[in-house]
Amino acid sequence: MASRGTAQRPNGTQGKICQFKLVLLGESAVGKSSLVLRFVKGQFHEYQESTIGAAFLTQTVCLEETTVKFEIWDTAGQERYHSLAPMYYRGAQAAIVVYDITNQDTFTRATTWVKELQRQASPSIVIALAGNKADLGNKRVVEYEEAQAYAEENGLLFMETSAKTAMNVNDIFLAIAKKLPKNEQTGNAGTSGQGRRLVESEGQKPTSGNCCK
Amino acid sequence: MNEEELLKRSAAERDRIFSCYDRGREGAEIDPWEDPAYEVYHTTDRYGFIHDKRLPQKMDQNEIKTQFVEMERLKKWHKMTKNWETVATTEKLRRRIYKGIPDRFRGQVWVLLLGIHKLKSENIGKYEEMLRLARQWSTEIRQIDADVARQYRDHINYRERYSLKQRSMFYVLAAYSMYNMEVGYCQGMSVLAGLLLLYMDEEEAFWGLSVLLTDKKYSMHGFYVDGFPKLNRYMEHHDKIMQRFLPKLKKRLDKCGCDSILYALKWFFVVFQERTPVSLGLRIWDIFLLDGDRVLPAIAYTIMKLHKRQLLTMDSLDEFCNYLQIKLEKDFGYDDDHVISAVERSMEELKRAKLEYPGPPLPHELPKQPIGTFKEPTFTSKVGRRADEFSEAQQVMRESLIQRRQTALIEDEGSEEHEDSATPTELSAASNRRMLGANNCVGVNSHGGSKFLFEAGDGGSSLSPQGSRRSLADTSVTSTADLSVFSSATRSQPLDNSLDTQSNASVASSSGSAGLQTPRAGSHQPSPDVVRIYVPYGGGPGYKDGLPRTLPRSLDTNKIRIKVQDPDQTPVVENLKPFALDSPEYELDIK
Ligand SMILES: Nc1nc2c(ncn2[C@@H]2O[C@H](COP(=O)(O)OP(=O)(O)O)[C@@H](O)[C@H]2O)c(=O)[nH]1
Ligand SMILES: [Mg+2]
Repeated sequence: MASRGTAQRPNGTQGKICQFKLVLLGESAVGKSSLVLRFVKGQFHEYQESTIGAAFLTQTVCLEETTVKFEIWDTAGQERYHSLAPMYYRGAQAAIVVYDITNQDTFTRATTWVKELQRQASPSIVIALAGNKADLGNKRVVEYEEAQAYAEENGLLFMETSAKTAMNVNDIFLAIAKKLPKNEQTGNAGTSGQGRRLVESEGQKPTSGNCCK
Repeated sequence: MNEEELLKRSAAERDRIFSCYDRGREGAEIDPWEDPAYEVYHTTDRYGFIHDKRLPQKMDQNEIKTQFVEMERLKKWHKMTKNWETVATTEKLRRRIYKGIPDRFRGQVWVLLLGIHKLKSENIGKYEEMLRLARQWSTEIRQIDADVARQYRDHINYRERYSLKQRSMFYVLAAYSMYNMEVGYCQGMSVLAGLLLLYMDEEEAFWGLSVLLTDKKYSMHGFYVDGFPKLNRYMEHHDKIMQRFLPKLKKRLDKCGCDSILYALKWFFVVFQERTPVSLGLRIWDIFLLDGDRVLPAIAYTIMKLHKRQLLTMDSLDEFCNYLQIKLEKDFGYDDDHVISAVERSMEELKRAKLEYPGPPLPHELPKQPIGTFKEPTFTSKVGRRADEFSEAQQVMRESLIQRRQTALIEDEGSEEHEDSATPTELSAASNRRMLGANNCVGVNSHGGSKFLFEAGDGGSSLSPQGSRRSLADTSVTSTADLSVFSSATRSQPLDNSLDTQSNASVASSSGSAGLQTPRAGSHQPSPDVVRIYVPYGGGPGYKDGLPRTLPRSLDTNKIRIKVQDPDQTPVVENLKPFALDSPEYELDIK
């Protein structure tokens, strides 16, 4: 297993703790659940059960100054479940749009997800594109360069990943964590479990009405 | 690629997948990992499920009891299945099924309960015909293949790729995708087919699946068809039960953003499979097949009730999800008999409260065409292209989710004012005057939900993001989920939103680049002004045939004006449009 950048800060009270809501989107069977499982538990199941509805998991990563807690929404890929997706990406600070490098249609589908996020999600959402199943290089149909060019054009983070070999799995989450803005005030984490950019300490009174100016 | 090439490619893919299943394990290309190596004999339980660890040498209490009792019962069951149609059987059946069908008889009894013999003999050749059609026309093959490859891989019958039962599962689902073309295939159905196939043969499972979907006793069609209309109805009902009998727990779940869709969708779609231990899951299926979908609310309620104490110690979505999604399947904490008796008691309890059944299916939950009607798939579905817009049914689903979430939050915040939950025909306008003025944030929360709706129509949107963000009128329109206009101007917790309609989009964009850096104003302030208005929406233009919960499609149908007396705090309300209610306009004066 590759090294995991997910060590818990030895004493959890130090440093900033930021909480981010992250959603995984993409065609069915591209490996969304597998990526999450790899990132959260360090495991890979060949027979990962298909996601019906959605699943929720959390994982914490440590950056130099801050601890980032990801609240991860793993969604069902089938078109019929699409109508539920906005409820998961709404309010998300980050999204990983996944495709399977051995299937061109999944890449096309990924680009429509990106479009939808650009139109419908928070304008500041950090989007990463993951070309998964990179271990199946011999069956590749989506070229790295093609995806990279697309990602660049659209300002996305991009990596090819493999949930199976763990390649780039932690890295893509870390890259997202780094890109997320963390310069808000910090407080205690993990009390409410709700997706938001930052956990404010309880009872903290906002001082000015500068939210929507 | 031109159209012809696209069609060719899709057809080729379908043929390729079919040929894999046709060949089975002989000569099939199977990646080595597709056959997980198991220490099979030591790790397979009595139902055929394989476990990671060796099973304990000794059986646990629950197992010893089950086996002993089953031995006792075999004779009775033998007699009963021989005399199925007799009155004596009918009377005993119910009691005995609630005690659990001995696994050895399960297949036989399930087939009887589902009335499969009759269907099969009335439809000779139908299954083969559907399978033939599927080879030529089915547009669902790729998805079915992907799910068959993942379904019950921990069961000895499905362990090997392209094993006999895995092939059957594929064929059953492929054939069914032609038999019921309105549903086709929807994720979740592989669970139904997979489970039935553990207890019956391929053609029986096909007819079993068909009964589960379209017989009115089970009506799962309404769960799986576009827009999931039955899910809505069942979740609303579940929420009502929670509100009535477990209000504290419901409040806690709501507060943590644990909308019931997060756990109940899976529960209902696959009738508690993969969320309860195998033996309990089978017992649940026994009573489900006997009594039909009316047991679902009682089971959901029972699970919450039995685990109330543990659940009440939790205060994050994380914990709730982990408990309901993973922990309960591993270890339910109660033996199966105890749970089933508790379900029976719950059914009584719900009956007394007149909450035992969410009512009959709505028209759009049922098939529109006679089952078995073949219609050539459209080009788009043939090549697997996605629709650009949500269908009407999907929009209804989406909007009602948003509304449910908002209701939950409003309940939470205004629980002093309101004891009961807002019914779909009520309009609640919760507004926080201080926030309206201080932030100009009006409508931010709901607007997130609205955006898609109106932009989806491409060009149909008359809203500029700037205008709409500040428009209460929009807010109320856009959160109109079904029968109600549900306006929530502000939440007392703008940051709170894992599931709700609050959009960071609006928040962030309105504060410019500083969006994320800005601490939210008024984030934990209570909301002093809560206004609830009845809006009789019936018969309005929002109605479409057979879809009673249709949304108004454009802003032109609705209008609300809210005035805040303090001039400094008057929100700018734009985009007022005619209001299609009896009264042409509502004015709320919030003081
Ligand atoms: N070779 C390979 N297979 C993968 C990888 N990730 C997922 N899979 C397999 O692809 C299938 C679908 O994965 P899953 O995570 O369920 O996809 P999801 O539907 O997007 O959640 C499963 O059989 C996985 O074992 C990967 O990186 N490499
Ligand atoms: Mg999945």
